[in-house]
Amino acid sequence: MRTLAGVGSTPLTGIGTARWYDSAEDLSLPDEPDPEAVDPAAERERFADARTTAREAIRLARDRAADRVGEEEATVFDAHEAFLDDPGLIDDIEAAIDEGTPAERAVDDRFGDAIVQFEGMEGRMAERADDLRDVRDRLLRVLLDVDTVDLSTLPPGTVLLAERLTPSDTASLDPDAVAGIATATGGRTSHAAIIARSLSIPAVVGVGDALRAVSDGETVLVDGEAGELVVDPDETRRAAIDDEETEVVRDRVTTADGRAVEVAANVGSEPELAPASDRGADGIGLFRTEFLFLDRESQPDEDEQYEAVTAALERFPDDRVVVRTLDVGGDKDVPYLDLPTETNPFLGRRGIRLSLGEHADLFETQLRALLRAAASDVGGDLAVMFPMVTRIKEVTDAVATVESVATDLEAEGVDHAIPELGAMIETPAAASMADALGDRLDFLSIGTNDLTQYVMAVDRENDALSEYHDPLHPAVLRTIHRTTTAAADADAWVGMCGEMAGDPALTELLVGLGLDELSMSAVTVPAVKKRVREVDVNEARELADAALACETRAEVRELLEE
Amino acid sequence: MERTVMVVPEAGLHARPASKLVQTANRFDAEVSIGRADDGAGSGADNGLVPANSMLSVTGLNVAHGESVRVVADGPEAADALDAIADLLTTPVEEGEAEDGGDDE
Repeated sequence: MRTLAGVGSTPLTGIGTARWYDSAEDLSLPDEPDPEAVDPAAERERFADARTTAREAIRLARDRAADRVGEEEATVFDAHEAFLDDPGLIDDIEAAIDEGTPAERAVDDRFGDAIVQFEGMEGRMAERADDLRDVRDRLLRVLLDVDTVDLSTLPPGTVLLAERLTPSDTASLDPDAVAGIATATGGRTSHAAIIARSLSIPAVVGVGDALRAVSDGETVLVDGEAGELVVDPDETRRAAIDDEETEVVRDRVTTADGRAVEVAANVGSEPELAPASDRGADGIGLFRTEFLFLDRESQPDEDEQYEAVTAALERFPDDRVVVRTLDVGGDKDVPYLDLPTETNPFLGRRGIRLSLGEHADLFETQLRALLRAAASDVGGDLAVMFPMVTRIKEVTDAVATVESVATDLEAEGVDHAIPELGAMIETPAAASMADALGDRLDFLSIGTNDLTQYVMAVDRENDALSEYHDPLHPAVLRTIHRTTTAAADADAWVGMCGEMAGDPALTELLVGLGLDELSMSAVTVPAVKKRVREVDVNEARELADAALACETRAEVRELLEE
Repeated sequence: MERTVMVVPEAGLHARPASKLVQTANRFDAEVSIGRADDGAGSGADNGLVPANSMLSVTGLNVAHGESVRVVADGPEAADALDAIADLLTTPVEEGEAEDGGDDE
């Protein structure tokens, strides 16, 4: 038995057979043959066949991704198909073949040139390099007859090992077949890790180079809670898996000394509603509305949005559903909305900034749907929150828009109600102004992924700086505390909907910091509910005070491990 | 025949608008090429023009919102192709047009 340490990403445990998913660096080409020995006609046919096979695989991956994760993650495959059909690339490759170059070398050379060209550019152009690499690898795997790991059809009981997985790789996994994932790089807030969590696949990331020592076919156990990969686990370790399944708690929970803490789920698509209620979530703490807008040619109309929100309310008849108004921009693109291309999109036009500016019409339509849903008697209570708030004026403008929409609906004789209104606390500016925000709103919800990014001034996808992207840095904890204190003084309730909220190891700290509600990937709801019941509020406050007094992340971690 | 238009979509000739352009160029019986308007003189035999039916070439131009592009078309449907492309490049948000080559089986 060997144990490799990493970072637990999906807090579940799985056991299975190791299978490496290799990137193209391992697709080495055979030595170049004498051009005279190459039969161009046969090579052209091989190339054509490879394109056919790659196209089928791309479409299959697209459909599966759309089905399992959502249209957003599926659109990347459309770009892949466009590159596969590029006439310039095809002509060049065929010309090289006609000069006596074998198909795989022609593909590798021409795609390589294009990749280098795109890598030299900024921003979105660099992403195109990733797309090209993906398409090249598909073609090379077919041409070299490399044992292709089709991620969507892995045999049951596979533990997938990879240097790194892209969001599209992860989205194409079949959660029923994949027993676990372990990657050498990556952090728990990367998009790929979040997708793995939403698919309930046990995952450990950031294992490092040691992962390379694990071979195909070995039995491995992925412990996403401890953050360990165990090779050839012993009986004790195997037996522990069966005991680990945390029981679903249907009822609302209180701490051991009686303080209520709501444990809700983050939901980003309609298929996620059922698993959220199955796992005993007390409603939805973050209902992302972006999925309604993605992969289509025009925006959804008011009725469609109304239906989607009432479907969520119906699923949680006794609970609250917190809907976030459209949060596009940053890393979330919606093609037909024609979002601005900016050198620094995370600091650009996104969230409420767009809703009060270029997308005012869209915002009004969404609010009409929401105010109508708030009056429907189908289910639980509706709450609405605004993303990416930095200024009080944004909130007063947003609230004024809500009121004017209500006036319009009144004049039209349409049933409506004004839901609870809140703001996301994702920026240092919003946290600083939390008292004033709390005065004007019913609740605040702390989005720790973005908040950590903005407080620490670090890109959450940048592996080289993953140490910075940790909400346990005292600077982030103090920002959270400032928010919870201000909310309490203003009589606003305060929730948290970042990945931090779903880590049972942090539940006591978060209760101590004063959070009323924790919202997370559905998979972690049972474990967090279990943990809440064990917490004593006074002890939790002492822990929080001690954490707030720490000066370094290491001190906070040490404190939590005691 | 040719036409010079300013690229209105704010995303410029990037991911989605670029693939729209490629699709549109492929729809007509015409050879369509595109390039920056101010690259016209002295940048080699192709005058800075690239084939509009190539995703790689079109996105590689890296044309931003507000830049002018020269579109050149040749063939039986050249006029229609130019109309459709000019229309696409001067419309801030593409609407409708749900076609994707009819490959949904």
